[in-house]
Amino acid sequence: MDRLELSMSGRERTAIVVIILMFLFLFAGLLRFQVFQHQQLADQSEKNRVRLLPIVTRRGTFYDREGRVLVDTRTSYTVSVLPSEEVRNLTVPNLAGLLQIDTVEIRKRIVKNTVNRYQPAAVKRGTPFEIVAVLEEQHDRFPGVTIQMERVRNYADSTGAECATGHVSEVSRDELEQYRSSDLRPGSIIGKKGLEKAFDPQLRGLDGTEYIEVFASGQVVGPYEGLARKNPVPGADLHLTLDLDLQRASLLALDSFCCGAVVAIDPRNGEILAMVSYPSWNANLFSGPISDSLWQAMSTDSSHPLLNRPLTGQYPPGSTLKLITVGAGLEEKLITPTSTFRGCTGGYRFGNRIFHCWDERGHGVLAAAHAIEQSCDIYMYQLGLKLGVDLLSKYYDECGFGKPTGIEIPGEVRGNNPNSAYYDRIYGKRGWTQGLVLNNSIGQGEILVTPLQLAQFYCGIANSGTVYRPHMVRSVVWPDGRRQVMSPRRSFALPFSPETMAVLREGARLVVQGDRGTARSLRRKGYTIAGKTGTAQNPHGRDHSLFVGFAPFEAPEIVVCAIIENAGHGSEVAAPVVAKVIDAYMAKKQPPDQIAAVAPEAKR
Amino acid sequence: MTVNYGELDWKLIGAVLALSVIGIFLIMSAQHFANTDYERDYYLRQMLWLLIALGVFAAVIHLPLKLFDYGAYLLYGVALVLLVAVLFVGHSKLSDARRFFDFGPINLAPSDIAKIALLLSLSRFFAYTHLPPSSKRRFAISALLAAVPAALILKQPDLGTSLVFFVLLFVLWFWSGLSVGFMLLTVSPILSLVAASHWISWAVYILVVLIVLFLLRPGMLVSIATVVINLAFGAITPLLWNRLADYQKDRFLMFLDPGQDARGAGYQIIQSKIAIGSGGLFGKGFLGGSQSRLDFLPERHTDFIFSVLGEEFGLLGAVVVMLLFCFMFYRAIKVAARCRSRFASNVVMGATGIIMFQFFVNIGMTLSLMPVTGLALPFVSYGGTALVLFWTLIGLIVSAEQHWQEY
Repeated sequence: MDRLELSMSGRERTAIVVIILMFLFLFAGLLRFQVFQHQQLADQSEKNRVRLLPIVTRRGTFYDREGRVLVDTRTSYTVSVLPSEEVRNLTVPNLAGLLQIDTVEIRKRIVKNTVNRYQPAAVKRGTPFEIVAVLEEQHDRFPGVTIQMERVRNYADSTGAECATGHVSEVSRDELEQYRSSDLRPGSIIGKKGLEKAFDPQLRGLDGTEYIEVFASGQVVGPYEGLARKNPVPGADLHLTLDLDLQRASLLALDSFCCGAVVAIDPRNGEILAMVSYPSWNANLFSGPISDSLWQAMSTDSSHPLLNRPLTGQYPPGSTLKLITVGAGLEEKLITPTSTFRGCTGGYRFGNRIFHCWDERGHGVLAAAHAIEQSCDIYMYQLGLKLGVDLLSKYYDECGFGKPTGIEIPGEVRGNNPNSAYYDRIYGKRGWTQGLVLNNSIGQGEILVTPLQLAQFYCGIANSGTVYRPHMVRSVVWPDGRRQVMSPRRSFALPFSPETMAVLREGARLVVQGDRGTARSLRRKGYTIAGKTGTAQNPHGRDHSLFVGFAPFEAPEIVVCAIIENAGHGSEVAAPVVAKVIDAYMAKKQPPDQIAAVAPEAKR
Repeated sequence: MTVNYGELDWKLIGAVLALSVIGIFLIMSAQHFANTDYERDYYLRQMLWLLIALGVFAAVIHLPLKLFDYGAYLLYGVALVLLVAVLFVGHSKLSDARRFFDFGPINLAPSDIAKIALLLSLSRFFAYTHLPPSSKRRFAISALLAAVPAALILKQPDLGTSLVFFVLLFVLWFWSGLSVGFMLLTVSPILSLVAASHWISWAVYILVVLIVLFLLRPGMLVSIATVVINLAFGAITPLLWNRLADYQKDRFLMFLDPGQDARGAGYQIIQSKIAIGSGGLFGKGFLGGSQSRLDFLPERHTDFIFSVLGEEFGLLGAVVVMLLFCFMFYRAIKVAARCRSRFASNVVMGATGIIMFQFFVNIGMTLSLMPVTGLALPFVSYGGTALVLFWTLIGLIVSAEQHWQEY
């Protein structure tokens, strides 16, 4: 026998060894999967066939202070076609007739939205209920047509409240990363701006989950019994301090201008009664996918409709802050209520420059309250020079400027309150002089305020010095009836003694009631409005027109701040806007039979 | 030819019949929830095919084995003609491959006929040749007999099936006396190809070849040739890899790492793994396999029937089926060793080798131990002609056992 050969019995033995080895090899493979990795693979098998079907919950509703709906969620119907159950020459032609879409377009949409044959392909979103009813009743004519209910955020028409409520949109990838722990999933709707964002956790509620069993193709077998359905928990409702009537009155008052803002606050508690950024935009646009062209148009519009003016618009306050200049002078004992400066002749020389008064005819010799009444620049220049940059800045700061008010709406800006340190940074240590205080004393120059800060300051004036944090949410009401009331919170007190306050308030009264007041047109029969005009020089165009008023003077219930961009004098433009809002407020307080007689156009 | 029914190897027949019946139940379960009647009725068709296969089996055991012996080369010639013909007029489920003739309800794959033809031809050649086992002519002629049909099948293309031909050649080399070490040397170029995928594995491999050569000492010429060929094959690996069809590359890479393409080519392997693993020890029960019921498992009534078994009957069911196979192999090898006729002995061993190879590769595939080759599980997987072929092989084994004393 050859060295290279095996005997017959040797071969037989070898073959049997091969069988045994084969068996052991395969057996080891079985053990690996069926014993050692069994749990993990069994889980995977479950995951394979069980799909989570989210049950989208109802997002909380926004109500105004009288219980009227500002923002709610309505049901939208999407008509879809199941490709696997569609009947040719029946489904699509019938659908075309009902939906008023031609067959080619429907066919195109089905092809575009088909995931696979067993999942509905959307044909029309936002279908009216009447059409849905027809589809349900005559479903024999529409084989394969299914209707999905979707919830769409619905913002009430022309409230101008978008700057407060903000809007919702689909959650972004970044946000998903950020809120990993919560129950968000791709496609979830979350608040992107305003109160929708600030109160998103409360508003959103908890989506429920339904478990279904599916084929690999995605075709649904039926509910999966292994896991119990999780019911959705609706979101909490927000009851706001806003008054829809004032909101609409403000919007209407701004209607004839390019752009501006109105903020109305109850000085007794900081409740915001109205807040409008004009031009406003329709937040419903953001609920669904927003088209690129529309986004482009909105973001490049010269009137900046997406700018939230009350909170993020920064304006020079102009004469509206002369109250602080005077108040600081009184507090620092640099002036008394009766002391005067050199009379106003329309100009003031400082160094080799002449600084003008707004009224070139001159105001003559004035005491504090009358300087406010006539908004005399020359008086303020002389007082400002006595105060200096830093002292004036300190008072601005103590009156709430250059820092956020703390309103619950995110994104508020600080404005700018310049002091020595600021000027050193901008111009260099020796690059500026105290002469800058001349501008500051009349609310010009580098000082920038938001309409909300301005309204907040006047709340202090109207409320004897105490400033409540401006806020917009009165209470959060959970679906189970629990109610969280947001009580008013004192924010700070103005740095003025009662005597000083009396002078400032008298000045504000004279602005409207005085013989030479700058806003005499605001005199009313039934009640007294007080306030201050402002005309802010604007390097980019015409002056901004400002007015902040409060009423009734004796016991103020409402402060209204209006800013109209590039519109001219405060007395001519902003003051009437404020008057309209205050009129609308006062009209609501009259006995019902008088409302129509007093201001029929204010009630819509 | 008279058959003594009492002396038939009923244990072996019983094992194979059990496998076939288990197959029918698994096919039924695999397609029980399918969408079309045609798919749901696969098991009925398989039952019909089993009856046909049993008829063929009965015919084979009634025919004299000598007939297969004498007709071996004739059948080989016919098979070659059919293999060439199918390249021109054949069909396949894959659009660009040509694997079978389409006769309406019956698809005839000439590769199945060629398997039997080669089995008989090689058995005949090894039985009557006077060349010694280590003779180079004996080696070359037998290799040529296998290579011609294998090459034609590679051309279809069907890599998995062509491998069966080489396995058959191997088994018969071994059975007719070539030592395992020598056979290792003959496949060494192929192993070299695989080992050359990394230079370290290749270096280790070449070292092993040198040690085997030293132990066997097959002669200076053969030794040098072996080393040279090994080096050459290792060097051309990258070239050859580039010549592979994309689907072959995919299958190979997917075998190495099924996770890399979970939706595409690796999908089957992953779903098979999930199906078998989730079955656990005792399985999810008949008709209870969610992987197969819900359509996650592709090819579940054919190539991946073992996954259905593993899912529904667990480790217990899988081991029972594997033991049935191994019992059959054991009985068959005993028959092969006992046969006095060299031809009969070779036929039995070759037939067993074919079944063993497909058994091993198919189950190995479902367990991610082997690449996906498209070889079905004998007797169990759906497929009529394959069932007939395998029962023919069983017929030859049983027939040889009946006449083991004859020379």
